[in-house]
Amino acid sequence: MTNSNNNKHKISIINVTKQFDAETIERGLALKDISFNVESNEFVTIVGRSGCGKTTLLNIIAGFLKPTSGTILKDGDPIRAPGPDRGMVFQHASLFPWLTAIKNIEFGPKNQGIPKEKRIKLANELIKLVRLEGSENKYPRELSGGMRQRVAIARALALDPDILLMDEPFGALDELTRSEMQSELLRIWEARKKTVIFVTHSIFEAIYLSDRIIVLSPHPGQVSKNIKIDIPRPRNRSSQPFLELYEDIHEAIF
Amino acid sequence: MKLSSKRSSRFLGTRVLNVLIRLMTVIILLFFWEFSVRLGWISSFEFPPPSRLMETLIMLITDGFPRGITAWIHVLATVMRILQGYALATVMAIPMGILIGRSKILVRASNPVITFARSVATISLLPLAVAWFGVGEFARVLLITYGCFWIILTNTIDGVQQVDPDYHRAAQMMGTSPSQLFFRVILPASLPRIFSGMKVALGMAFLVIVAVEMIGTIQGLGALIQQSRTFFRSDIAMVGMLFMGIFGYFLSIVLDWLERILLPWSKGLEEVER
Repeated sequence: MTNSNNNKHKISIINVTKQFDAETIERGLALKDISFNVESNEFVTIVGRSGCGKTTLLNIIAGFLKPTSGTILKDGDPIRAPGPDRGMVFQHASLFPWLTAIKNIEFGPKNQGIPKEKRIKLANELIKLVRLEGSENKYPRELSGGMRQRVAIARALALDPDILLMDEPFGALDELTRSEMQSELLRIWEARKKTVIFVTHSIFEAIYLSDRIIVLSPHPGQVSKNIKIDIPRPRNRSSQPFLELYEDIHEAIF
Repeated sequence: MKLSSKRSSRFLGTRVLNVLIRLMTVIILLFFWEFSVRLGWISSFEFPPPSRLMETLIMLITDGFPRGITAWIHVLATVMRILQGYALATVMAIPMGILIGRSKILVRASNPVITFARSVATISLLPLAVAWFGVGEFARVLLITYGCFWIILTNTIDGVQQVDPDYHRAAQMMGTSPSQLFFRVILPASLPRIFSGMKVALGMAFLVIVAVEMIGTIQGLGALIQQSRTFFRSDIAMVGMLFMGIFGYFLSIVLDWLERILLPWSKGLEEVER
């Protein structure tokens, strides 16, 4: 990995504050003085209660929102706008309903002017990676929630970003599909080696997936804990260290 | 595969049954009508029986009413007026709606005008249109355009405005240029709403056409119905209505078919949805 200048982190979040317009300054303050780093190929999860500003933070990293103050550096350079170097998976998949699964995956490469043959090959590889063979020509409305998120992951990977941003992608899935998708995500992450920033309100999900967990406390959103997880994968959701960690984080959130 | 073909054959069976039930209802009603007249329960002058309507229908197709102006000429005149007015409205309203819908300022600025223009019943503009443009074809087509235009315009504006902001974001993160965003995201995302506006507008065109054909012309289904009143021929009025109904039904089938072809992702797949 080639990291520029003196900054050897993949992403540095430095004193980020976000103030929205609201009647009172206090109410509009979504994020206050957030600082942490994300290393290359690291799986970092931001966990916190609803309304703690975790999605706002992710949107700032994506470039959809601008921070009121503070900066975010990627490979040492400030983030100014959304770009294909950061792929995003949305909470409700947000696939284009007028395109089939494979056309959704091809959307980015097509807009970037990648020739047809090459992008079809690329899309087929991704279909295989997310295990959707046989469903590539279905429209999103014909797919189940879990399958839609598989397409969304493939679509986010299509432009080969170095960072994958995931905004509660499994939040709307039933429990069984959800735990299946968690293992699938780890498998895909192992295969493609990306830096992942994952947002969730599920502590279990955070511990199962992450190398590191950033706990945000609400009103205003602040980093209340930054925990490295050393439990080897695959992690047993009912093991002693897993449950101890759960207690720790649970406490930090409240 | 097996399951779906089994399901579709059962589906087909239900459809045939549905058609039969509907057909039977109509036939029973027609018989009841015919016999009510024959038994003298209702007057054959005010409610000409189906058998009489059949004769009128043949007369309209062969001789025409007034003589020489056959049903075909009437239908064609009406079709042409509706198609011209409707096409003109569509061609103007969709681009304008997209333009307005993309700008919050334009939406706010245009809102009072659109709300006002929509509330004016098109038919009430008839005297004005005649005063300005005379009783020629132009005034008639223009009134149909007026009626359709505002409906398609408002639906297009809403369609563009209601595009899921996450589609924008998804497109942005995939490095989409502004023109790609427009043609590959905004336009397809708002098409279903635009289409439903076009369907409502077609209904409006039918409302307007009858009224505008009642003055200054003897061609067109509206004119036919108007003439029948002058000559106390309720049978002709009824056959005129029948033509109108068949024509409207046919046009809405064409629109449904177009929608299925243009928007295969939006309609007709309800069964598969999980």
